[in-house]
Amino acid sequence: MQRPRKQSIERTFALSIAGLILIFPANLMPLVGIKMLGGDKDGTLWSGVVALFEEQLWGVAILVFLSSILFPLLNIILSLLISAHLYCNKPNRHLAHWMRWLQHMDEWAMLEVYMLGIIVACVKLASSSELKFGFGLYAFVALLIITGMLATSLDKTLFWQKIGQLRK
Amino acid sequence: MNSKKSALAQGFIRCHDCGCLSRKSEQNRLCPLCEGQLHPRLSNSLQRTAALLLSAFCLYIPANIFPIMTVTRLGVGEPHTIIGGIIALINSGMVPIALLVLIASILVPLLKLLGLGLLLLNVHYRWQDHARKWTIMYRIIAFVGRWSMLDIFMISILVSLVDMGGVAQVIAGPAATAFAAVVVLTMFAAKNFDPRLIWDNQY
Repeated sequence: MQRPRKQSIERTFALSIAGLILIFPANLMPLVGIKMLGGDKDGTLWSGVVALFEEQLWGVAILVFLSSILFPLLNIILSLLISAHLYCNKPNRHLAHWMRWLQHMDEWAMLEVYMLGIIVACVKLASSSELKFGFGLYAFVALLIITGMLATSLDKTLFWQKIGQLRK
Repeated sequence: MNSKKSALAQGFIRCHDCGCLSRKSEQNRLCPLCEGQLHPRLSNSLQRTAALLLSAFCLYIPANIFPIMTVTRLGVGEPHTIIGGIIALINSGMVPIALLVLIASILVPLLKLLGLGLLLLNVHYRWQDHARKWTIMYRIIAFVGRWSMLDIFMISILVSLVDMGGVAQVIAGPAATAFAAVVVLTMFAAKNFDPRLIWDNQY
């Protein structure tokens, strides 16, 4: 059971804009760098996917791409679209579809699990090489917090009620 | 507790997507609020869950036998299985992290497979006891599933970072695919299981 949340639509709207801004540095800038035997290497979300792809692990690469890049992005975009429409009281016939997609996709966006993966990988590497944390990692952590707040601010019952009202 | 009738027995259907209750009738196949398909219960829930669960069981074996990654140092390759990686972590003195990986990549998938199997047996043989506890177990299984992806993400990071040719390199192994498949299949299995079936058997 859930209790209604205050200013759910406004908060979701604001948080999803913040998330959309943060998702670019989190994806494009290096998360962790490594210095090993004179060699330098930076890792981004995308480079992990590419590396798996190059080793012919298509399935794993696609899974990592979906759960760490595509679904979080879609999640934020859909929250933004839905809350923007509800905020401005603008009816749209796709609202119910978007809302349904958002609910089904929720489970597959796994940024917080990825963060744990980064921590474990760093611990494993820390003994044999020098690590440096890039700006992307800070953006990533911020994004993580934003998506967590997004999930708690989004009041599904209220959203569905509003969507139903706008239809009429 | 047993005096309460389910919504379905009282002629109501609850929409899976928006939670709107509507009266059960012949024409009324779409939810009045969100226009999604209405099903009284998830269709073929037991069969689908059982099928997904069996495939996950089969894949769980290669996932643990084959190396999940090969670490090459100065030209010498050293394959690691999931358990091998955990033992390596313990040997280097990082017990908390080793515990974390142990829970996420061995205990959670195993408990999920067993737990969902038990839930299937429960519904199939109509066990009458502890319906509330079974429901709590289902919730835990559904919540905890995604955390098994930890190992996959870790490998993806290691593979991209440690790539210095013959000097030091991490190559993902065949178990990675099997393990990823286990995680995805059990997540789908948990999603396809309808916990309300547990309560339908109570009288």
